[in-house]
Amino acid sequence: MKLVGKHVDKNGAGHVNLRPEDDEDMWHLYNIIQQGDLVRAPAIRRVQSISATGSTESHRVKLSLTIQVSRVEFSSSGAPSSSADQTSSPAGSSAAAPTTTAALHISGPVASENRHVKMGAFHTLDIESNRDIRIEKVDGWDSVALARVEESCVPGRGAEVGAVVCGEGTAAFCLLSQHMTLVTHRISVPIPRKASAPGTSQYEKAMARFYATLYDAFVRHIPYTSPSLRAIVLASPGWVREGVFNSMITEAGRRGDKTLSKALREKTVKVHVSSAHVHSLVEVLKSPEIVAQLKETKFAREGIVLDKFFKMLGVDEMRAWYGPDHVRLAADRGAIGTLLISDELFRASDPKLRKTYVELVEGVQQKGAEVVMFSSMHESGQQLNQLTGIAAILTFPLDVEVVEAEEREAREEERRQQEAETLDGG
Amino acid sequence: MTGHVDAGKSTLMGRLLYELGRVDEKTRVANERGSSKAGKSSFSWAWELDGTIEERERGITMDIALQSLSTPRRQVTILDAPGHKDFIPNMISGAAQADCALLVVDAITGEFEAGFDRGGQTREHLLLVRSLGVSQVIVAVNKLDQVNWDQSRFEEICGLLRAFLVQSGFPSSKTSFIPVSAMLGVNLVNRTSADAAVLSKWYNGPTLVDLLDELEPPTREIASPFRLPISNVFKGQSSGTGVTGRICGGVVQVGERLRVLPGDESAVVRLIDVEEQSVPWAAAGTNATLYLTSIDPIHLSIGSVLCPPSDIVPLATVFTARIIVFDIQLPITTGASIELFHHSRDVPATISKLIATLDRASGVVTKKNPRVLTKGTSAEVEISLRAGTLSGPALSARPIPLEAFSVNKDMGRILVRRGGETISAGIVQNIIC
Repeated sequence: MKLVGKHVDKNGAGHVNLRPEDDEDMWHLYNIIQQGDLVRAPAIRRVQSISATGSTESHRVKLSLTIQVSRVEFSSSGAPSSSADQTSSPAGSSAAAPTTTAALHISGPVASENRHVKMGAFHTLDIESNRDIRIEKVDGWDSVALARVEESCVPGRGAEVGAVVCGEGTAAFCLLSQHMTLVTHRISVPIPRKASAPGTSQYEKAMARFYATLYDAFVRHIPYTSPSLRAIVLASPGWVREGVFNSMITEAGRRGDKTLSKALREKTVKVHVSSAHVHSLVEVLKSPEIVAQLKETKFAREGIVLDKFFKMLGVDEMRAWYGPDHVRLAADRGAIGTLLISDELFRASDPKLRKTYVELVEGVQQKGAEVVMFSSMHESGQQLNQLTGIAAILTFPLDVEVVEAEEREAREEERRQQEAETLDGG
Repeated sequence: MTGHVDAGKSTLMGRLLYELGRVDEKTRVANERGSSKAGKSSFSWAWELDGTIEERERGITMDIALQSLSTPRRQVTILDAPGHKDFIPNMISGAAQADCALLVVDAITGEFEAGFDRGGQTREHLLLVRSLGVSQVIVAVNKLDQVNWDQSRFEEICGLLRAFLVQSGFPSSKTSFIPVSAMLGVNLVNRTSADAAVLSKWYNGPTLVDLLDELEPPTREIASPFRLPISNVFKGQSSGTGVTGRICGGVVQVGERLRVLPGDESAVVRLIDVEEQSVPWAAAGTNATLYLTSIDPIHLSIGSVLCPPSDIVPLATVFTARIIVFDIQLPITTGASIELFHHSRDVPATISKLIATLDRASGVVTKKNPRVLTKGTSAEVEISLRAGTLSGPALSARPIPLEAFSVNKDMGRILVRRGGETISAGIVQNIIC
């Protein structure tokens, strides 16, 4: 994303002009834009005009519209999960993968009138890449939103990884960028068990078919020619990854695809994972081969921090807390060492709720603790979301029950004081 | 048939089949020649079962092999399970079809310990088969010839295992121990060969076949509606698609129409094969192969369930279960992402709610809404299946066929794994949606 202009005063009022460039920028915008914001972007609107004789005429007008956001919708057209159990036929077409697959739709009433559109008329803006968009926040830009803008505009952040998580007969193709994991394709080829009565040739035939399907899908879905692709990860339990790698190398050699065999030889990392499901990507990110290559990237760091949290939960339950109420109590006591928070919480439609989280983050940061913002488009973020979206590793052990009892006591005390005051007053 | 990797499961089974005349001399010679050519002559017996090229190259079993044999009183179907930890999903799929377990352990000093220590497959396999409802177990202490038929070694291993078996909930009356050597074929069917002379000095108990003969078949749910979870799909010789699996309830006849779940398809049973013999009907407890017609094989996948159209299996995406947490490092929290195993199917899922911890013995609620479940606890939890993608608004998860334990015992058992480790086992209580 490019920052075209930023006019934000010290109180947070003002607007930001941004130019999104790829899928990930759409995700950033989705996280920045909230209900109630004023967004101005180019749009095409069908305008009907009635002439003096009463005949209607409609034409499309290209114009810029400012709308007050009432709904933001993000969709990344990854692979539909419904194909999971079906055989995807290896269609020979060499359809190039589209450059952007994510789409962002913002709808709401128009907030500034012009010649064609009346005030308050509804419109849905289709945000496109390379078209400038202006965002103005009604109740001001908070630190989290500004940090997000800054983060999204860092140039050259694209450390992309293409990963294939495969098992016997199944494979999921994933693209990992800083803030997103996209499952671009899944294949599933039925593999008969070797125990079947007519012998084992069926098994080998099916495996050969699986390798062929996987090769075709790989060529179409992993941008192996792109220089920004840092690594190609082949992850699987057992030895499927070896089989896949060898068959791909031979197939690429047979077809004379030099770029693919070069990319495979230079970039492939084979990682052992314990299951063939997409969620074992977390294991991929924890594996030493990947950590060594990508440790400065955001998604690797997220994986490491989440792992640390779970380990802490195992070792010392009193130093690993989760859930908004508990984390807030810990923050009040200045106990937080690392705060893990999901970006989903900041998308809360209720601005008051968002504010409380922003305050929490700011407070924790002021005390010198580390704050790790998880992207819910990554597997690690998904897992954090399942765990209420907020968690903390504490610097010293605190017992939840003791703290809760303290809170109750404090409240009692307060109530008693108030009662005493009212008594005094009366 | 279970045990740690390289304990000799496939070899034992290959030898047993040969001794009982199920493998002819010609195949044996071919296997022997082939394996010594590959420089792996010690695997010659296992080649009978490890049929695929990859299994033979690596010298390990990767998938379940199914063979049947007959002892004087019983028809026994043996499922040879892979011991390597990466293939536990396959092993679970096999163990879900078993009534009894034959545990093979390696007697060689250091090898037994490697398999039995924390992280070894001996423990995990035993816990798995127990959670899948198996209570009878025969322990075959293998490779005793390598330690000169040392009786004290045999006793030592038995002592260690006996304690663990009792602790895992196997009744001691239903467990038996037996010294064998699979490679030399000692004490499988008889002890007449010259190699057995040393063993015969201190051991005069039953042979392996005698023990297999004495196994008690458990009671079957014949009266309940027909259920068959598919563990394998393959193309039949002439027409139709072959599916195999163990019947978990009810009876099936040739000519019957069966519904395939999940999905909207149904098929007609053309043939039923049990132990390679065509039969007119089959009942709960048998490992049967059904040949189905009037269905596209694309609708039959491993893990689907066959049932009568009048009495279909409920489909579930969210359900409550009563689980026992195994010996784990990291505790289970709400939202933990897990893999759920149910017969031959494994699906990604999350533990969406920790409802209560229970007293292990009495089942009384000890604590409501616990924060975490640590090792050894028994608990009631809510499990929801996960949708396939991470991206965008969550697509709804694909339901799996499941039944409460109270309705059908075999259909109500689940296993939970995380990060390549089995973390708990349980039974389905209620299907929520």
